[in-house]
Amino acid sequence: MIVCSRCSKDNQDHYKFCLGCGAELPRVSGKPRSLSTDTPPGGSTGSGRSTNSPRSRAGQAEALASAPQMELEPTPMQAGPPSPVQEPRSDSLPAELAPLGAHTSPCPHCGAGVPENFRFCHVCGHDLHGEAGGEASADASADAPAERVSAPAVAEAPKPAGTRARLILIQPDGSEGEMFPLSAEPTLIGRSSGGIFANDAYLSPEHAEFRFEDDQLVVKDMESLNGVYIRIEPDVPIELFDGSIFRVGQEILRFDGPSAPEPAADGTQHMGSPHRGYLGRISLLIGRDSTGHSYPIPPQGIHLGRERGDVVFPEDGYVSGLHCRVHSEVGHLFLTDIGSSNGTFVRVSNESYVPQGTFVLMGQQLFRAEY
Amino acid sequence: MEQARNYVCTECASAVPSGHKFCGACGAGVPHEAQTLETKFFGALQMPGKARLIVVRGDEAMGEGLSYLLQATEHIAGREADQIPFPSDTWLSPRHANFLYRGEKLVVRDEGSLNGVYIRVRGAAPIKVGDHFLCGQQVFRVDATPRDTSGPEADQTYFYSSPRRPSAFRITQILEGGMDGIVCCAHEHTVQIGREECDINFPDDVYLSPKHARVEMSGESLELIDESSQNGTYVRIRGERELSHGDYLFLGRNLLRVEVTA
Repeated sequence: MIVCSRCSKDNQDHYKFCLGCGAELPRVSGKPRSLSTDTPPGGSTGSGRSTNSPRSRAGQAEALASAPQMELEPTPMQAGPPSPVQEPRSDSLPAELAPLGAHTSPCPHCGAGVPENFRFCHVCGHDLHGEAGGEASADASADAPAERVSAPAVAEAPKPAGTRARLILIQPDGSEGEMFPLSAEPTLIGRSSGGIFANDAYLSPEHAEFRFEDDQLVVKDMESLNGVYIRIEPDVPIELFDGSIFRVGQEILRFDGPSAPEPAADGTQHMGSPHRGYLGRISLLIGRDSTGHSYPIPPQGIHLGRERGDVVFPEDGYVSGLHCRVHSEVGHLFLTDIGSSNGTFVRVSNESYVPQGTFVLMGQQLFRAEY
Repeated sequence: MEQARNYVCTECASAVPSGHKFCGACGAGVPHEAQTLETKFFGALQMPGKARLIVVRGDEAMGEGLSYLLQATEHIAGREADQIPFPSDTWLSPRHANFLYRGEKLVVRDEGSLNGVYIRVRGAAPIKVGDHFLCGQQVFRVDATPRDTSGPEADQTYFYSSPRRPSAFRITQILEGGMDGIVCCAHEHTVQIGREECDINFPDDVYLSPKHARVEMSGESLELIDESSQNGTYVRIRGERELSHGDYLFLGRNLLRVEVTA
């Protein structure tokens, strides 16, 4: 399906022009195939920047991050951002995402010269691998879930008396670290509660409170500076509201609903670029009150990823190739993780349930809640 | 046989050289029309030092290709102006701009309009933080990089921000209605704008060239550079600006060309 960017009409894959308005349809990279990862669209993105070695890029990001390196940091976590899995790098990119090859071979369908690493003809969209589709799904499955951090089956550790739940620290390499017990009584955690939280400079002294409501674990953000983030389940849309904050890789993003100044008193309207019915925008948070790059969200929504999507983060190795999307359904806006390796985290506004097995991000540390 | 080369006196048929008020032979008066032998213009459009504005792309109600001769000393353009009216363009203030002569020079002055007057950049033009410019259908503003507000709190908690990269300035797209659109922080010292392969891309803007314009910082100063685009890059004027032959102006949705007779 190709969604026309001018009139939003759905068109079949082989159409060159929109059935609704006649606008020329994108033929190569702009083809938004199904969102599942089994048919990666041909095309290359970010080829120019993706040649840096992953280490140097990660190091760069680290050095440029405004946060100081904390000397009091005792654990090996200090350099490690909370999301532990480094994404597969561009050197191991699937062939169809690699930079354009110089060699071409004729398309069996239309005869166009197609770069050899393309899976689909860029002129007619013909599937050049035909029945070799098995390869694609193999790629895809290797891409995402195999390297998940979460070990679904957790070895049953004996629970200390009075402990109803545990927060298990996930270390930068993905292995499990220390365990923090939560009793049935409300537990306040933060830098002042000591232990594994004492030296995390991104935790407020009193950061969050965990308590039980019946059988459900609940976390309450104690108006902390950096908040509490909860990993959302893949393919389950979470509604975004004006001011909602979410995290993808190392990037903190904020959604802002549409807002516009009033027209002038004399009836003059504000001049500007064509407004394509934008539903708000997402901005990169780079300070308490400041944002960096920002993108409006068109009615058809946007995809975010390291290599693919409308908004790409080629320099953040913790973002998956295609990570999540922001989309509109029946007048509301939603965020959906689309099978990213490190997950998409949403900042808790006031308080939230923490279902069993949920990943919780606080300060610089990632935990899994088990109960 | 040949024709008399001067005015011939109607009383005595003597030749009267040009410039004489009376016939030297008989003293009869020479009519006023015969005294002034200056060549006249076919039309006022040819008057030297006078300019006209040609609507290249215009207000629906007024049509395109219309031209306005600037014969007076001041000419107001606007949504409710008498001299150069654009009644259906809601981006124009009632009294938007004034085209006036200062001596021999034609200047355009922004009359405090909401949306301003834009002039086509010839090659490159200096630009400052807060300035607006146009490429294709897109409107942009140059913004400063905000101060770093990610330092520690009083309680020594550090703010966790997305990784920051050095950026000298940023370009903000302004959407119809006044809302901010895309914000692009300069990667090092340049932001390039176009239809594809730029820092800010508008694949569906048919009035943009593939690589249209860029804003570049050299030293402390910023420059707006038109990359030989087909439709040009326009910068909003501050106050007033002298115009010369071949200048293009955007007033709201109206594109005007300036013609000045030499």
